Amino acid sequence: MTSETRYASAVRDEVRTLPKPYHEAIEHWQRHNFPDYPKLAEEWDRFFPKDEPFCLCAKIAEDIPSEIEVGERKGEEKALAPRELPEEAAQHLLTAIKAQASTEFGSIQQHQGTLARAQEPQDHAWALRVMAEELRHGYQMVHLLTSADWSPVTNTKASDMVEEILSMQTGSHLLAAFNLEYDSFLDNVVFAAFIDRVGKYQLTMQKISAYKPYASSMPPMLREEAFHLAAGVIPLRRWVEAAARGDGYITMSDIQRATHKWFGRGLEMFGDERGGQTNVKFGLKDMANREAQDMYIDECQRMYDDLNERYVRARFPKLSRDDAEKAFARIKSGETVDGVGSEDLLRLPDRRFFRRRGEFAYQMVGTHGGAFTDVEKYIAHVLANLPEAYRASIDVKHWADLQRKVTRGETPLKEAINSMPRLARVGGGCPCAKSVRWVQESG
Amino acid sequence: MNELDIEGICRIDERITGRYRPDVWEQRTAYYLRRDPDSSQVAEVDGRVVGFMLGEVRGGEFGLEEPTGWVEFFGVDPSAREKGVGRRLIEALLGHFRSKGAHVARTMVASQDKEIASFIAAMGFVPAPLTALEKRL
Repeated sequence: MTSETRYASAVRDEVRTLPKPYHEAIEHWQRHNFPDYPKLAEEWDRFFPKDEPFCLCAKIAEDIPSEIEVGERKGEEKALAPRELPEEAAQHLLTAIKAQASTEFGSIQQHQGTLARAQEPQDHAWALRVMAEELRHGYQMVHLLTSADWSPVTNTKASDMVEEILSMQTGSHLLAAFNLEYDSFLDNVVFAAFIDRVGKYQLTMQKISAYKPYASSMPPMLREEAFHLAAGVIPLRRWVEAAARGDGYITMSDIQRATHKWFGRGLEMFGDERGGQTNVKFGLKDMANREAQDMYIDECQRMYDDLNERYVRARFPKLSRDDAEKAFARIKSGETVDGVGSEDLLRLPDRRFFRRRGEFAYQMVGTHGGAFTDVEKYIAHVLANLPEAYRASIDVKHWADLQRKVTRGETPLKEAINSMPRLARVGGGCPCAKSVRWVQESG
Repeated sequence: MNELDIEGICRIDERITGRYRPDVWEQRTAYYLRRDPDSSQVAEVDGRVVGFMLGEVRGGEFGLEEPTGWVEFFGVDPSAREKGVGRRLIEALLGHFRSKGAHVARTMVASQDKEIASFIAAMGFVPAPLTALEKRL
């Protein structure tokens, strides 16, 4: 009898390693931006004893359809190289890959800042694993950039594209959600629950990509993303239960404020609600932006119903399951039950609240959907509903200044939408004294 | 299955066992999500989880080198039984196991669980040429 295959799993993907200069550039980036990475190996056997050790590599799924699944060219062969795509489609795709890469490396930089503040060892280990898998996803995007000839749609060399991505810091990433500093470990968790969920939608939509190497990259990433969402939701489940018992360090109000910080940024990651049809036309995604965003909101609502139900259960521990569910339904419909009302539960803000991009950008809509006409009252309302530490950030000041200027007609809406606070220097090389570039020529 | 199914699974477990064990199911769910989220399934009626089945494809255990689809935890809400929920769950799992290269599925049933044993047999499982052994420590 043997049990030698301790990590045995039949989910087998083709594993690829980047050419040495790129592989070393990512390892070098890790040392500067993810210094806690070596701790993952130390914690692995305690928290993931049956799982295969982490692999910094690209994974390629094998059973991917060869024919385009949606759009104008449905039924034709999927492209194996960028030059086989229509030029505009290849440009869209390249933009998407670079944006995806930016989010993967960006989220690690965000997580690293507050990782050490995790109160529970398991939460720390799970966040570490999430970060390592985001590193692998960034590696996967670099593989896509460096393993194909993108010259039909860009004059930028692959090494320069990688340099640019690895040089980004919190504040210079392409999407706003990855330019916000975390205030505490609560942000690590709420980010995983909300922002990684957007990631799941994006990856799912791109599983059908007309560019086969990209489509083949999605299933392994999605499997890992499933755990990232659990690493958000499961700590939240525990925290709401502790809050209900009154013995937690994190209150429902803390979670609610963090939700206000992240939810709008997550919605904006889908792109403008009125757009996305071009990606469908080119066969790069299977849903337009609003359709995907609507599904995302429904899923977030389900997540909060789930958390609220657990909160009510813990507030009324003597009630049976059925009676607790009835109590939750009554509270959700607006009744107060034994001192617990809907204001005690978590709620998603209105999709138009605190928006800076998309159809509802800079519309003055409150958390509950009420419209404001006075910009100062609106700014006060938003500030009152955000986490205290975040209120003091450059990002919030930048938004408030723009909100005033847009409302007064001093700044065109389009200009405000395209404006992001410049929180970090763009470009530049590795901060290490031994090097000026991330990607070193192989000697 | 995904992370939002945890409470639904807890509800079914509570209806069957009388115990509310969210911590247990959170750990189990996280494990199966890490391994392969598509190897575990839930059944829903009107958006409510009424059944679950957790498993995965592994190879090499106990000298069984071939990839094996292991069915490890399952439950159906008592109010949803006799409606084919369990059958559909196991068909979904077996289909996924096959797509991952498994040509055999295995499970273990406690000898006192006649109802489960009967269900598993009805699903085409037969006694394996293996004996489960244990020693109290």
